[in-house]
Amino acid sequence: MPDIRNLADEEMMQLIQAGNPRAFELLYDRHGGAAFSLAYRMVGNRVSAEDITQEAFLSIWRSRMRYDQARGSVRTWVLGIVHNRTIDALRRSLVHDRRRETIEGIEERFEAREQTDVEAARREEARSVRTALDTLPDDQRKTIELAYFGGFSHSQIAELLNEPIGTVKGRMRLGLEKMRRQLSEGFVAGGIA
Amino acid sequence: MTARDHISYREEIGAYLLGALTDVERREFEEHLESCAECREEAERLRPAAESLPRSVEQVEPPPSLKASIMEVVEREARERSGKPARRSLREWFAAKPAILRPALAAAALALGLVAGFGVAQIAGDDDGRTVVATVDETRVPDATGTLRVEGDGEDGAILRLQGLPRLGGREVYQAWVQRGDRFVPQPTFEVGRDGDGAVAVPDDLSGARAVLVTREQRPGATAPSEPPIINVPL
Repeated sequence: MPDIRNLADEEMMQLIQAGNPRAFELLYDRHGGAAFSLAYRMVGNRVSAEDITQEAFLSIWRSRMRYDQARGSVRTWVLGIVHNRTIDALRRSLVHDRRRETIEGIEERFEAREQTDVEAARREEARSVRTALDTLPDDQRKTIELAYFGGFSHSQIAELLNEPIGTVKGRMRLGLEKMRRQLSEGFVAGGIA
Repeated sequence: MTARDHISYREEIGAYLLGALTDVERREFEEHLESCAECREEAERLRPAAESLPRSVEQVEPPPSLKASIMEVVEREARERSGKPARRSLREWFAAKPAILRPALAAAALALGLVAGFGVAQIAGDDDGRTVVATVDETRVPDATGTLRVEGDGEDGAILRLQGLPRLGGREVYQAWVQRGDRFVPQPTFEVGRDGDGAVAVPDDLSGARAVLVTREQRPGATAPSEPPIINVPL
């Protein structure tokens, strides 16, 4: 029997869907760090990020039959669930009180180890996305960051920035359009499993 | 669909992909997507840009205890699933009962602990609170799962998150309750999204409460449960 550590994510999901906890542990090993990092980036403190990551992974385990390979990579699915959970937490003000830094000033305190080629490739991918984000006009970048990482709704962002809602929606769409173009020139988003 | 509708929805594609719509707006937008090929195509075209965003985040190392606490629950559930204990079916209990019970009867059933079909809750806790796994009446909501996150010692209430629930029709709502002894204190009602996910804040002080429950009610404003719970979170 092949070592499950050599399986691709999508193959591993078949074992997880059959209820194999070892395969799920491997899923956590591969994507738990990214999931925790995303939650931490959004809420700004480790305790809330741990709560959210735990809830998200238990939800992933219990809803494992809902994963559909046709709709994207396992990593994208996992991170999407973490993102939704974090937005829920932010909007229910569970963690607002614990946020100690602004969306633009979250301090990165725990640099992860970088051990494998996959991790190195992911770090390179992260740089490309950050470059694409940083080259956006300030108003578009800020709007996208407040929405995606801050968990704010478009109407909350309009209030925060004192701009009409239509302007905020337009910046989101334009910003994504520019990022899409820039990323497609560099690499295919989601290309690293 | 009017042209005006389409244009206003089209403007929201970025907000939708970034998670910046409210739950109601998102549901409406997804309904529009089902009938609008142009918006669907545009959303798929821009989706990779939105999905790249989490990959831009600097990596931080989660504590080893996080994996341990997740795997503890996962392994326990996997074991239970492989040697699933026999569960009494509520269907039998309902066999001689009307589909919708009179509130007093349902309240009495709840007070007597007629929650057959429910398994044993699992608990994972830490200094800031605890997460209790909801037990589910598998005969009525077979795909449902959920957790109750209790903040601190429960004085500040909790958040109940549920997945796999069917969407209700008409004015029907899901109703949360806090059980104190034989009393059932109504909490907010809630709906679930197209994906069957829903969440509700339970604002009551949970100190001394026996359980958090969910029933389906014909309309908002119920003062007593009209049926045995479909979700039960013993405290």
